[in-house]
Amino acid sequence: MRFELIDRVLEREPDRVVAIKSLTSAEEYLADHFPDFPVLPGVLMLEAMAQAGRLLAGGQTDSPWVIRQVRNVRYGQMVRPGQTLRVEVTRRGQDETGLEFQGVGTVDGQVAVQGRFHLAPLEAPRPSPRHD
Amino acid sequence: MSKRPAEGVQESGERTERGNPRSGPLTEHRLIPAMRWIWIDRILELERGVRCVAIKNVSAAEDVLHDHFPATDQSPALPVLPNTLVIEGMAQTAGILVGHARDFQEKVILAKITRAVFHADTGPGYAIRYTARLDRIDDSGAATTGTAELIDPASGQAAPLADIELMFSHIDRNRAGLAFPESNFVFTGQFISLLRRSGIAI
Amino acid sequence: MTSNPDQVYSKVQEVLVDALGVDEEEVTPQAKLVEDLGAESIDFLDIVFRLEKAFGIKIEQSELFPESVLNDPRYVQDGKVTDDGLAELRQRLPHADLSEFEASRSVEDFSNIFTVDAIVKFVQAKLG
Repeated sequence: MRFELIDRVLEREPDRVVAIKSLTSAEEYLADHFPDFPVLPGVLMLEAMAQAGRLLAGGQTDSPWVIRQVRNVRYGQMVRPGQTLRVEVTRRGQDETGLEFQGVGTVDGQVAVQGRFHLAPLEAPRPSPRHD
Repeated sequence: MSKRPAEGVQESGERTERGNPRSGPLTEHRLIPAMRWIWIDRILELERGVRCVAIKNVSAAEDVLHDHFPATDQSPALPVLPNTLVIEGMAQTAGILVGHARDFQEKVILAKITRAVFHADTGPGYAIRYTARLDRIDDSGAATTGTAELIDPASGQAAPLADIELMFSHIDRNRAGLAFPESNFVFTGQFISLLRRSGIAI
Repeated sequence: MTSNPDQVYSKVQEVLVDALGVDEEEVTPQAKLVEDLGAESIDFLDIVFRLEKAFGIKIEQSELFPESVLNDPRYVQDGKVTDDGLAELRQRLPHADLSEFEASRSVEDFSNIFTVDAIVKFVQAKLG
């Protein structure tokens, strides 16, 4: 799969972004998730919110921003092929390690996903086990 | 939505009725696994209702790593497995644990990522070992806690990668009004194949 | 197992922080689980699991969150809880303060009875 979970950005402010992910039967992972019941995997809803959040993190460093923490991401409505997930991500705050976001994703006005996550710059170009 | 059984499905005499939480036995009609959404490679241990340990290798042959992240004018390519897919690996490990605890009769769906904390990133040439433990299960769902470790196959060394707590719904019981197939659409070909090649009787 | 009110309160607070991913200072006695702390239905299952573990008690989900009453046409008419429904709720939820809910009786407002304080009282009643 191509790991692009944002198709269009609809609104963009310094601390808030609205973007959409359209789901199509042409996406190959839907054949497995699930064979009789294709729906957007929940973790990809979170990924769509994280990729939207990354737009707000902007060019603060050269490193790409990745998820460091997730808190209470809940799933509701499922997203089927032909439907569009609309994600709205708000920057809640900042600490020494990165940025904290609140996100909500809706499909046809119903909540599909909501929760909080934390993004921080990717640390090492060559990841290796850290020995504390 | 189609409610007919797929071709070749043998209908048993005890065909489940709508509203019956039991979904009937797992069918084998899709044993040719597609593997486009499977984020663990092998199950190392499965102790019923207690814990499940699984491993995933991470390789440059995976498309995802080329998008996450490609080279730019400022930086070389930074191939790491997206942390959302690390969560999915845990969800699949824990989902098998939850499903197995009730003989794969329930449709087990990820309902909540209660908490995930990441300590490192995983690049090609490394592996992830997932250990999921079942905290609690009842008729409506289950809660699991788990750890992911980053394994260096060259040295055998392991380091903490992530702590991940999840909740699952048994959706027959919680979403009676939602239209979804009566058959167990969750535990199909790719999971059956994974369990078989890991030597687990189902 | 203790039923010291302060200890019960702080354990309930910890349960809600972990289950709802909120900050400790958000969990005040009067905070409403749904309206103020953003709880969804899956969170209630999580809360039940965690309360059982934290206090060593057994809780049926229906005993804390009586959805069956609110979905029962005998007890609800036109989105409002009937006299019989209210009596049933009082019997099922002896720990809850229904006085505010009685004014509207609207099913939509029902979740407002789940304050942090109501959970603490429920646990105290279970502990005896």
